[in-house]
Amino acid sequence: MGTETIKSWIKRFDRKPSFGEDHLELSSKIEKEKRKSKKLVLVGTPNVGKSLLFNRLTGAYVTVSNYPGTTVTSDSGSCDISGESFDIVDSPGMYSLSSITEEERISKLMLLEEEPDILLHVADAKNLERMLPLTLQLIEANLPVILVLNMMDEAEKVGLRIDHAKLEKELGIPVVPTAATTGRGVAELINKIGSYKPKTGYNIKYNEALESAINKISTLISDEYPISRRSLSLLLLQQDEDIEKLVKDKEDVDYNKIKKIVNETASKFRQPLNYLVKLRLQGEASEFVSSTSKEVEKVDIGFRESLSRVMINPLTGIPILLVILYFGLFWFVGVFGAGDLVGLVEEAFFGELINPWITDFVVNTIPYVPIQEFFVGDYGVWTLGITYAIGIILPIVTTFFLVFSILEDSGYLPRLALLIDRVFKVVGLSGRAVIPMVLALGCGTMATLVTRTLKTRRERTIATLLMALAVPCTAQLGVIFAVLALYPNALWLWALVILFNYIMVGFVASKIMPGDKPVFYMELPPLRVPRPSNVIKKTYTRLIWYIKEVIPLFILISIVLWGLMLAGILDVIIALIAPVINAIGLPVEASQTFILGFFRRDYGAAGLYDIQGALNGVQLLVAAIVVTLFMPCVAQFMIMVKERGMKLALLIAAFILVFAFTIGFVVNLILTSLGVVL
Amino acid sequence: MKCALCGHVFDENKRLEICKGCLGSGCKKIRCPNCGYEILPEPEIGSKIVKFLKRRFKSENK
Repeated sequence: MGTETIKSWIKRFDRKPSFGEDHLELSSKIEKEKRKSKKLVLVGTPNVGKSLLFNRLTGAYVTVSNYPGTTVTSDSGSCDISGESFDIVDSPGMYSLSSITEEERISKLMLLEEEPDILLHVADAKNLERMLPLTLQLIEANLPVILVLNMMDEAEKVGLRIDHAKLEKELGIPVVPTAATTGRGVAELINKIGSYKPKTGYNIKYNEALESAINKISTLISDEYPISRRSLSLLLLQQDEDIEKLVKDKEDVDYNKIKKIVNETASKFRQPLNYLVKLRLQGEASEFVSSTSKEVEKVDIGFRESLSRVMINPLTGIPILLVILYFGLFWFVGVFGAGDLVGLVEEAFFGELINPWITDFVVNTIPYVPIQEFFVGDYGVWTLGITYAIGIILPIVTTFFLVFSILEDSGYLPRLALLIDRVFKVVGLSGRAVIPMVLALGCGTMATLVTRTLKTRRERTIATLLMALAVPCTAQLGVIFAVLALYPNALWLWALVILFNYIMVGFVASKIMPGDKPVFYMELPPLRVPRPSNVIKKTYTRLIWYIKEVIPLFILISIVLWGLMLAGILDVIIALIAPVINAIGLPVEASQTFILGFFRRDYGAAGLYDIQGALNGVQLLVAAIVVTLFMPCVAQFMIMVKERGMKLALLIAAFILVFAFTIGFVVNLILTSLGVVL
Repeated sequence: MKCALCGHVFDENKRLEICKGCLGSGCKKIRCPNCGYEILPEPEIGSKIVKFLKRRFKSENK
């Protein structure tokens, strides 16, 4: 061994922490390094202190690597425990072995491929009931698991006492209480790792049909796997794609035999099998918690926690949401932002001061009419692009971003997501889809990309459809509030029609496309009074990004429209859609709103703001409904094509186009037939 | 970094799978890998203004 090699060994051992031994000679260390290291993997949900514990064990000397073929990364390090070398891997967060997210999938694959000697399931002691189902799954899989009850200090602060010795006895695996932030319990954990002997843990019994299916599938499996046949069979019953692939690759048996058992078992129940398994695991976890933990004192949950619970409960949360929508969105964004501020900026500043001066300047300086039109015509870069972007859209989004930043800083948004999740389930929609839905209020294009976080194709399709159809963007919402503020009945009707269509289309789509309803988890940060400095900083940041994005786009669209106008194509398009516009009771001037809306939703909204004076109450309501339901803008459509494929994107766009005008036609027909004046 | 929406802790420097399909690739926005929530980095001009104001404030207090 050369000098350089020995130096590198010394350097390596200097960096690696050692537990349970005093001094080892360099030579014996080198010998030990030659032996195969044991593998220790940390698993658990996000934000339970896994990384902190990982750092405590490895001394924070971390190698970050990508999981092959993905961008999901895992940290790895090493340490010595009781004279044995351990390679330690911190897996991405996971809630269950039957994966929902990419991170969970990678964590599961790591368990299958790494074949750990010891598995540390790091759990949040405060939320033991939510954590134990994964522990039970790991025990069921016959994996060498140690349960780490982390954040024990926080659990004690809220008055929770866990009898970890009793839990250890009942589960049949080592259980160690820790507080990784202070280092409490880490020494005991190291001792448990050092003296770990694999044991058979607790065995869960499922209902008769499931047990029978598990046994049948287990007998068909003959190869060796890193997890038990029972666990493998359960995952196959839950139609886990990775496990299906693994078994198909390894087994000689005709997979259709297994598929037949899965289908037969599934047909015996109304609910999906993975839901039933999760329900059983959760029930078992609840029993463990009730027998091993108790609240030693009645903890005063305090005003913030009470408020938090009230916000999540649909009975109280929906009225709170309506109050926020009324004061935050309707009054502040709609009436003040889109009404008063836009009146000041667009009408007074641009309309009376800047635009006449620029128009005079351009007309007197440039002799060619088409070039004049380029700058200050109906579709001019200045009179349309810049005026709409700064005069109409900017005041609306400024007020919206201010409200949004206050809500974000207060911690209300996660509670809103949880509240909507509960409401969604009532109409058969899946829980995780709520996040892109909330984000679509900002921008549907990016929210369509976010549907990637959803597990099933069914969810992604429904979310994409609903966002493209009935989730208005900020500027649309602001303009609609502003133009309908003078017609309160029209505003209520608009909200009812949009909500009805949203629920109806979502409900029908979820029935047409049956599938599993994944469980939705979300960490709830504490509620707090928003800090003005944070709110200003966030609003400013969002505004700068918005200006960067919107102004070049508005200018580009103006140029395209100017080009189309010059070539005479725009008149042809307006003439083509004029009968449809007239059929829904609107004047031909409203065509521009829809043409602009096709390019960008907020541009279309600005167009509606511009023509509001020419429309009566009923016409404004119909226009607001059709603009809201109208087909996605070009950018959103392109992302839809990219994410869902051309066929489905075209199908969704065609459905929305027909649906929006049909609803507009029906509403106009009913209101005018009844002689309603708004 | 901790996501302001779902509380997921992640490395903001990692390029995410979700961002690959974006039309605006190359932007500096940070997106939570768990829920997709968008976290906007502070524009440089904003940081410069804050730094300038802090310096002014400190020098006036001296």
